Amino acid sequence: MLVTIDCYCAVGNDREYDFSADDLIRALDRAGVNRAVITPVDRYMVVDNCEGNKFILESAQRHPDRLIPSCSINPWFGKRGEQELRRAATEGARLLVLHPFIQGYQANDDLAWPLIEIAAEERLPVYIHTGPPGNASPWQVIDLAEQYPTADFIMGHCGATDFWNDAALAALSCENVYVEPSLARPFKFAAHMQALGPAKGVMGSFAPINDLAVEWTEMRKLLPPGDWSDFYGPNLLRLLAKRGPL
Amino acid sequence: MIIDCHTHWGIAWQERDRGDPARWMAIADQHGITKAFLYPHAGIVRSDSCAVDNDTVAAVAASAPDRLIPVATAWPQMKEQGLEEVRRAVEVLGARALKFHPWLQGFSLADPYLGRICGLAAELRVPIFFHDGTPCYCLPEQIAGLARRFQATCFVLAHAGLVWNWRSAIEAARRSNVWLCLCGPPQRALEVICQRADPDRILWGSDFGFGFADSIGYWLSVFRAARIPDTMKEKILGVNPLHLLQSAL
Ligand SMILES: [Zn+2]
Repeated sequence: MLVTIDCYCAVGNDREYDFSADDLIRALDRAGVNRAVITPVDRYMVVDNCEGNKFILESAQRHPDRLIPSCSINPWFGKRGEQELRRAATEGARLLVLHPFIQGYQANDDLAWPLIEIAAEERLPVYIHTGPPGNASPWQVIDLAEQYPTADFIMGHCGATDFWNDAALAALSCENVYVEPSLARPFKFAAHMQALGPAKGVMGSFAPINDLAVEWTEMRKLLPPGDWSDFYGPNLLRLLAKRGPL
Repeated sequence: MIIDCHTHWGIAWQERDRGDPARWMAIADQHGITKAFLYPHAGIVRSDSCAVDNDTVAAVAASAPDRLIPVATAWPQMKEQGLEEVRRAVEVLGARALKFHPWLQGFSLADPYLGRICGLAAELRVPIFFHDGTPCYCLPEQIAGLARRFQATCFVLAHAGLVWNWRSAIEAARRSNVWLCLCGPPQRALEVICQRADPDRILWGSDFGFGFADSIGYWLSVFRAARIPDTMKEKILGVNPLHLLQSAL
């Protein structure tokens, strides 16, 4: 059996949910998923990055065989943020999450370039939330991906909803860009994958905003694991393992 | 009872099935959909298809009169002719609601003829569904702006703010003439909407029919998994949609 990994699960207490690492483990078990990348809640992505990154790391350390820590840095923190990214990577973070909409910049803005440079050096794939108009469109991700060809980019949500038309063409234009389906909905995302082929996607649920089991169950109906196994884990594992074994 | 308040008679369906809803209904039946509000598709993409598509949707709905509720569109850019089309769709074709997609149709909510259509909708007692959640013509707060100007007209945000604007949809729905159709926001957002908005003005929809993809099963799974009291779910699926039609009448 090939590994299955959920690329995006937010763990912690935010204004409208409280989802612990233990809750996530139960959700993974219910859905028959081996592992998950865990990510900070919105507040920790916008402010208090260091506190959030430490919380995520500690949560992952309690389930080292199941949970993989990410980190998030708000580019507005400048040099302090760059230091925090180095620190988080050294401590164990395996992926950088950027959320231009809530962090308050445009995805291709030079404000974030120093963070992308560090992520490329540290071999951390960069997950970017896309979709909010003006802040984070698929082609903005391509601007970054062309400029930083040694970094790997995950186009979270495929630009859903308004930019769904752009997602597949944008992703096809750059080798180092992968698409993630949460919020793009299985019945739409499946068409993207048909156009892109199984090597270009990584499965993510965005629990607890979405129900992890519903997302995995519905996706498996449309992209049967027998034909699309790499999408459900090995593609992401290959990106994460560039920094070292997992 | 499940009433899907957001479906389309899609361009692809019309091209393949030529007005015969049997295969469309077969998918709705699979998921236990009792009734559906059937919106146009060709008519919201091209102004020169509008009247023909209103005819088509009315004819498709008439072939399953107890299941399909016809919804029509019009183009404010067509000025008097657009107003005439609204009147014709309701009075002659029997449309029970109007649907606008200002983003695709390319008009602003500030268009004076849209204003006149809103007034006419109140006179004809039909609710207006708007695509929403998308700038720069379809944000929830812009539709709430219309609702302030046309207080006798009933407005439905057909996507309840979609993925990124559902918080603004909750604010829009503070106005008593604004309804929300849960069709697009993620599960946690559906739960928050149901806690904060008036439960009497919440609907559910799937956007089925835009293409051949079956979106009903996915959105029903999301709605069923949502932590919303069962009594409220039943109201949203089966009771509120009938009230929407009655309250406009
Ligand atoms: Zn629609």
